[in-house]
Amino acid sequence: MRGSVLFVAGLAASLGLGWVAFPYAIYQRRPQPVDFSHKVHAEKAGQKCEDCHAFREDGSFAGVPGLDKCAGCHAAPMGATAAEKNFIDHYVTPKREPQWLDYARQPENVWFSHATHVKTAGMKCETCHGDQGTQDGLRVYQEDRISGYSRDIWERPARLVALRRRGGMTMDDCVDCHRKNAMELSCQECHK
Amino acid sequence: MTTTRRDLFKFAGGAALGALLTPAPWRLITDTALWSENWPGIPRPARGEMRTKFTNCTLCPAGCAVQARCVGEQPVSLAGVAGHPLSHGALCAFGIAGHHLPYHPARLRSGAVQEAAAAVAQAMAGRGARGRVVVFDPRPGRTASWTYRRAMAAIPGGTYVRPAPALGGNAVNLAAARTVLSFGVPVMDGWGTPGNVMAAREGFRLIQVEAVESRTAAMADVWLPVRAGQERAMAAAMGGAPGTGIADEQVRQVAQELAENGPAVVLGLEDWPEIVALNRRCGAAGRTIVARRGTPVPEAWKKSAPETEWSAVEDGSVRVLLIDEAAAGDTVPWSAIQPKLARGALVVAFACTREGYARHANYTLPTAVYPEMVDDIPAAVDSPASVFRMSASLVAAPEGMVNPAEFVARLGGIDGGAALRERADAIHRTGRGSVFAAGQASRTAREMKPDEFRKALTEGACWIDEPDPKAKPPVLVAASAGYASSVALTEQRGAGLVSPLLSKLHEESRLRLARHEVALHPSSGFRDGERAALETGRGRIEVVVTLDSSVPPGVVQAAAGADVVDLCGGDADARVVRI
Repeated sequence: MRGSVLFVAGLAASLGLGWVAFPYAIYQRRPQPVDFSHKVHAEKAGQKCEDCHAFREDGSFAGVPGLDKCAGCHAAPMGATAAEKNFIDHYVTPKREPQWLDYARQPENVWFSHATHVKTAGMKCETCHGDQGTQDGLRVYQEDRISGYSRDIWERPARLVALRRRGGMTMDDCVDCHRKNAMELSCQECHK
Repeated sequence: MTTTRRDLFKFAGGAALGALLTPAPWRLITDTALWSENWPGIPRPARGEMRTKFTNCTLCPAGCAVQARCVGEQPVSLAGVAGHPLSHGALCAFGIAGHHLPYHPARLRSGAVQEAAAAVAQAMAGRGARGRVVVFDPRPGRTASWTYRRAMAAIPGGTYVRPAPALGGNAVNLAAARTVLSFGVPVMDGWGTPGNVMAAREGFRLIQVEAVESRTAAMADVWLPVRAGQERAMAAAMGGAPGTGIADEQVRQVAQELAENGPAVVLGLEDWPEIVALNRRCGAAGRTIVARRGTPVPEAWKKSAPETEWSAVEDGSVRVLLIDEAAAGDTVPWSAIQPKLARGALVVAFACTREGYARHANYTLPTAVYPEMVDDIPAAVDSPASVFRMSASLVAAPEGMVNPAEFVARLGGIDGGAALRERADAIHRTGRGSVFAAGQASRTAREMKPDEFRKALTEGACWIDEPDPKAKPPVLVAASAGYASSVALTEQRGAGLVSPLLSKLHEESRLRLARHEVALHPSSGFRDGERAALETGRGRIEVVVTLDSSVPPGVVQAAAGADVVDLCGGDADARVVRI
């Protein structure tokens, strides 16, 4: 009996450390430079994803918009919130690019084309990026202390106990989607 | 309560099982793999805005148009320019991997520049009345070539030497040819502008006279496997002389086809009299071999030193020899140059590697490589119109690189810094020709302003001259320097750098012979992979034998590195021996 209790105690301690303490230890939490609300921009300003996350003329994806794009509307404060004041004072006025932390940055050995997925395959942003486009704030960026990549591209283990899917950007997610849609599935497609 | 060792094991067992049910070990495995990708020394892909830039390849005289996909300022992939009137969107494997060259491990990164400049000044001062200062330019016709000529004109005893031009400097109009008879010329494997040759290929029958089944022979309509070293004899025997290994009847058939299926052109490794005679007989002059106007230059430049060949330089007269190997061109065997040097002559090579003439130089000064260098590329042999196109600098050259033209210009006390600009202005002033820029409609030079014209050229556009209404058929003249190798059949000429990745692919796939590899027939008695020596009257180099049944018995096929050209050029007695 005593032996079983000790075994279960070890199991419980390990599960607790692995599921609760380990993520805190392995991921460094870093705030985004600006408290940005996708929700406000989508609902109040009536903007769509592609208004800011646009494709260039040559078809390549511009990714996170630069300050020029933001300053197009925010040349002067639009509201009196602290976030707006911070943005204007620290970035727009001194013309300093915000150093956004990219949740979706893939490892260096991955090649990904937004144009192929969005324009050719007609995929929606939410398929991979989840509900980020409707969130009121930017969640804390969690950077893996060893690899240096965002936790967002490693959501699969957490999803085992998550109540709702937040979209995924792991290799398994890519493979699953390509398999489901009968698309090309060779290593060279992404690891060029 | 006492804690026993058994208790600890049970707790640890539970902990171990629990750990496997958490993300921790799996996360750490992946993280460790990713961490290892970021170790110091492992190249990291560039990050930044993706842009497309245009340039022209300088790796060979074809000068194919190139579009470079750049991340920030870093070119990450090169491709041809679709619809280009000269290169027709094609780019060879060497050109596609050209952006690897700045990082080539064999690249020269330093040299005794000051010491070399002082030695040249001293040698020039003490050279005496008859001592020559020679610039040898393997790729003539560039703006840098004109700078050399201007500098040599300003120096007493200054001489500008270039290799003998193919077809006497005239051009082949492949689009007009219906029959092409080639004596060992790699028409389908790097000769002329590959894209232009491929575009014209449908329109002509190709008869290849060659001892081995080269790529050109394999792609020809007719391959005549002449006995090794008998190409010239075959040309002479088009009337039916025996001894070439080809049946007399077949020789007569080729001669008949040349006469009846015209316009025709005959190409040889050199302008042998036999080749010239055949071209005259089939009426090539003015139809398939056309005179090409020179690309315009400023009037003031025309008083520069004349173009000379090594055969016109007296033996023992050269006190200072400057060799520009920065731009790959025709290789002249060192055996043809060495006799021209005076005792104690100073030889300075401008090169990006030690594999070419640098082996014989007192000083080797490092130069920028493609795509760092800004240089223009003269018209290729298959371009009937004169052209002007430049390679843009896609990446910055490292510190300490020497610009050969500026070095020589300083010796002659002339200003060569703005030469490209001056030449572009001179071309624009003529009002001739049109400018092709990728993604834009061709515009005539006349409708462009000088600044606009220059800007287009520096951004990879190409100026193409208009036909000369007064052009006369060229006079075909035989000119053979005797450099062509008659026994060791070669490919891949020149001493320039090749992408290390491509070299590896070639070596492992055997698409091309590797450096210091020779191919022999299996009946040669050698084993595949055996080490041996390639020997001629001039010396020997160590080689690795590869057996290839497509190489006829008694024939040696070798990749023509600079040392192989030195060894075998013009020599009739090359053999492979055991060591």
